Amino acid sequence: MRRYIAQRMAAALVTLIGVSLLIFMLVRLLPGDPARVIAGLLADEREVERIRVQMGLNRPLPQQYALFFTHFIRGDLGTSARTGQPVLKELLARMPYSLELAAVSTLLAVVVGVAAGVLAATRRNTPLDYLISLGTLIGISMPVYWLGLLLIILFAVKLHWLPAAGADQPASLILPALTLAAFSVALITRMTRASLFDVLGQDYIRTARAKGVAQRVVVYRHGLRNAMVPIVTVIGLQLGGLVGGAVLTETVFGWPGLGQLLVNSIFSRDFPMVQGLVLTAAGMIILINLGVDLFYAYVDPRIHFS
Amino acid sequence: MHMLTRASTSAETPGGDESWAAATWRRFRRRRPAVAGLALIALFLVMALAAPLLSHYSPVDQDLSQALRSPSVHHLFGTDNLGRDLATRLLYGARLSLLMGVLAVAIGLAVGLPLGAISGYYGGVVDLLVQRLTDILLSFPVLLLALALVATLGVGLQNAIIAVGISTIPVFIRIVRGSVLVIREQTYVEAARSIGNSDWRIIWRHVLSNALAPIIVQASLSIGSTILVAAGLGFLGLGVQPPTPEWGAMLGEGKQYIFAAANLVTFPGLAIFLAVLAFNLLGDGLQDALDPRLRNL
Amino acid sequence: MNLLLGLRRHRSGPMLGAGLLVLSLLLSACGSAPAPASPSAAPAPTPAPAGPTSFRIAIGVDLDSTDPAGQTTTTVSNLLDYAVETLVKLDKDGNLKPGLADTWQVAGDGLSITFKLHSGVKFQDGTAMDANAVKFSFDRLLNPDVKSPQRSTFNSIKSVDAVDPATVRLNLKEPAPYLLAGLTATTSAVISPASVTAGGNTMTNYTTPVGTGPYSFKEYVKGSKVTLEKFKDYWGAKPYYDSVVFSIVPEAGTRETLLQAGQVDMIILPNTPDIPALQKNPAVKVLLASSNRTIFVALNTRDAALQDPRVRQALNYAVNKEDIIKNVLFGAAEPMQGPMAPSLFGYCQTNAYPYDPDKAKSLLQQAGATNLSLKFMSPTGRYVQDFQAAQAIAGYLDKVGVKAQVSTSDWPSYVGAITAPPDKNATQMHVLGWAPSFLDAQQAMVQFQTDNNPPKGLATSFYSNAQVDSTLAQAAKEVNPDKRKQLYCDAEKQVWSDAPWIFLWVQSFPIVYSAKVTGVSFLPNEKFDAIYAKPQ
Repeated sequence: MRRYIAQRMAAALVTLIGVSLLIFMLVRLLPGDPARVIAGLLADEREVERIRVQMGLNRPLPQQYALFFTHFIRGDLGTSARTGQPVLKELLARMPYSLELAAVSTLLAVVVGVAAGVLAATRRNTPLDYLISLGTLIGISMPVYWLGLLLIILFAVKLHWLPAAGADQPASLILPALTLAAFSVALITRMTRASLFDVLGQDYIRTARAKGVAQRVVVYRHGLRNAMVPIVTVIGLQLGGLVGGAVLTETVFGWPGLGQLLVNSIFSRDFPMVQGLVLTAAGMIILINLGVDLFYAYVDPRIHFS
Repeated sequence: MHMLTRASTSAETPGGDESWAAATWRRFRRRRPAVAGLALIALFLVMALAAPLLSHYSPVDQDLSQALRSPSVHHLFGTDNLGRDLATRLLYGARLSLLMGVLAVAIGLAVGLPLGAISGYYGGVVDLLVQRLTDILLSFPVLLLALALVATLGVGLQNAIIAVGISTIPVFIRIVRGSVLVIREQTYVEAARSIGNSDWRIIWRHVLSNALAPIIVQASLSIGSTILVAAGLGFLGLGVQPPTPEWGAMLGEGKQYIFAAANLVTFPGLAIFLAVLAFNLLGDGLQDALDPRLRNL
Repeated sequence: MNLLLGLRRHRSGPMLGAGLLVLSLLLSACGSAPAPASPSAAPAPTPAPAGPTSFRIAIGVDLDSTDPAGQTTTTVSNLLDYAVETLVKLDKDGNLKPGLADTWQVAGDGLSITFKLHSGVKFQDGTAMDANAVKFSFDRLLNPDVKSPQRSTFNSIKSVDAVDPATVRLNLKEPAPYLLAGLTATTSAVISPASVTAGGNTMTNYTTPVGTGPYSFKEYVKGSKVTLEKFKDYWGAKPYYDSVVFSIVPEAGTRETLLQAGQVDMIILPNTPDIPALQKNPAVKVLLASSNRTIFVALNTRDAALQDPRVRQALNYAVNKEDIIKNVLFGAAEPMQGPMAPSLFGYCQTNAYPYDPDKAKSLLQQAGATNLSLKFMSPTGRYVQDFQAAQAIAGYLDKVGVKAQVSTSDWPSYVGAITAPPDKNATQMHVLGWAPSFLDAQQAMVQFQTDNNPPKGLATSFYSNAQVDSTLAQAAKEVNPDKRKQLYCDAEKQVWSDAPWIFLWVQSFPIVYSAKVTGVSFLPNEKFDAIYAKPQ
């Protein structure tokens, strides 16, 4: 078990390094001169050159990577080429918003998703099951932008129940969380339904039923617990996708999260920011996946690093 | 009772009265949603192929005097900001979305299958490398990956397909590898190896054919999600270039008309939604129809 | 297991019914997307608030720099104008008016400008604004360690003297007649010297600006909002609102919904197609401010296909600008009648290129350029309806036999492609916008100077005319305003007939605000002027 944990952690580290290398190269392959973009059209060559030197772009590539990586290990993510502020500071300023949105929408998605999945699995082929199935299909097929704007029009403009955009009031979280949760709810419901249904068909469940164990105990104690593995997998995957996937939601709702920052940084060639963001996002995903792996090991001791 | 049922349906046994394909089809047919999905896909295919026959309008010729008309008898879904018939553009757009979805998944399969198979079968360093590569690709937010690739390779249909295709590779690697890991240990593979079958033959015949079911299901689901991602790229203006109609690009260009002419957002959005829905229905149906526990290995 | 249950008869009715219900709900929601014209249930009129009043504005971009010297974006400069001020200001028509300086005098030889400062002006941190503070600000602006992409305007300044506490003299390296106009730019705003070492600021990292303006910088939540508070000791007319809040909302549609929901009082840059409906909406007022941003299609004059001026003129005649402005831009522009915006000093009206496809065809024939096929690049979302307009333009070119292949890319790639050096530059036609940082012809005509061709500068049409170069060089140093105007006029006429661009239009700057508010105006350099807004 300890060996398993150590191996998984080593793998996580290697992945992180791999991601750092990939993002470093990828972002430098993007066409366009970052110094010119950041300086703006009205700046003259002298100023553009100054910014280029400031960004360290005049140094050879391996040196740039070495600098980037050694700083990163010390926790220094560099300075945003666009704002001149430390990347870490910008990240930390926006992180709470992204985490809040991710946490709330995931929580919503898990609670509703698992509940709906259980309902659907235990009432298979009833109208309720079909309705839920249809709902999930809609959820995973819906363009986010569309959904977001529809919700704004309905709840903010027409009904005046909720704020249309921004992050000022506590209520501002509701619409963006709903929009973001739509896809996750659908996915988690489907996974719960399928997985639980599989498990409920197993022999030991029949045995429990035959012995007269109450339905609720059967479903929750035996069924759900064993179905958790794939469910947790999906939850892990979802959380990971939320950082980049929240871009459209953040744009529509003016939510000051990391997703929007990422796209803006790519479009303004703010290398340090892109690198810092992607590494952070990847780091979170890797961490979450590590957690999921460890959860597997806890739940099913037979699983080992193969 | 469960066992009895299984045994008695000898139709499932390969070489039995009914071929595996026919049995699969029969199971598939019974699920209404799956059939609906297939029908929807067929509908889109017809739209795509028969577009010139279905509409006399040109999808690209503009006429500013006809700009932003509401749906009417002349224009079923209205016209866009350059006076082009929206319904016609949706029809022609079906070609691109379907093409992009299928080709992108084809790339994912072409690269992911062999890599996953090799990785799972041989294990060791190869497996480790492929695993890390997959982890890295999966740790990248999909949109970012596609964005970076398109920005590097340039915009346009070809590069959009490549970009989206690359993002589907990890999933297929994982699936195949998973299946291979299970199959590898089976006795009949040991047997085959012991009688001297080459590794490749083993991989191809036994391993892949048993991983076939989840691969097919995932392929269908992936087509759905790649259509979404491709539409996302088009939405940002980084996919197919105008005046070629593409649903995502139409949605992206249309979003500023959401109050002035909602049809420009509604109908392309609906088209994307229905296409993705169709492939997801199909995938679901295939999953049920191909349930591996009902086949003898 | 699935098989077993699959044998049961499905009751498809409920499923279909549910499906239809959901779909119809979706469709009806879409279909009834409210046109802003219909006054939606307006919030009940709020009674005059007893507490502090706040004016809320929604803008689309986040602050890249809070340092006046580091400004690159007009909107951010606009925001900073609430807190910091310049020596000289602009009025609504583009004329100079006193700012922190009451009067100024340009020396006869043009090598210095002397300013008399307004007395009794305080900074928001309580220190006094005097000649030393001005000298400090300019010295800082010219300090190479301070990041200032738009510093080049002020490169002609050799040194700054604080002659006495109320008098400042700028000493110039050479005559720079455009400099006074340049001093209206937020880049040259006067900041408190003491603030550079207080409140978390440093010389090179100036995060909380302290100036002399009517509002002081209170709070900045990255990506979300900026709050400014009324400065009680402001030297000028006091504004009405106690605070001003800028919300950062990237989506135009969302900004509109915020205004309609009553969450903000004013927005800029709504969705262009909504302008006609907003104009009809009694709950809001639309101000199509004239700006200094010209939009054009730069033609690569080095390209074999575009070398002949007749071809380029033909392209100008081929495009129906009025029609595109009406149908694609919804009226948010004015056709160009000269190579720059009318609000610039030195603007001189030339003849227009009216829509004349026949003339275009005959010019093309004369030049022997039939069956032209050109690559046409455009950005997306950079300028109002840029991509859409490009497609419309391509449509018009098609009608005279010129095949234009439209493509787009992200902005940095775009800039990289159009500023590539001549041997690597593969562009033929591309859309570009140019908004001079101050209202002087010198800033606009840089686009036609040979020494500004890429990769040195951004004159992306590679236009090169020795006569024009020498005229412009003369005008840059000509101290007499009338002579200067004439020189620019000559250059402009030449450029106009050489047609290195398809001259399109001057973009308007749409500002939309609540009908309950009055006193919202604009400056002709894409800035709104709402400092003196107040309730109706």
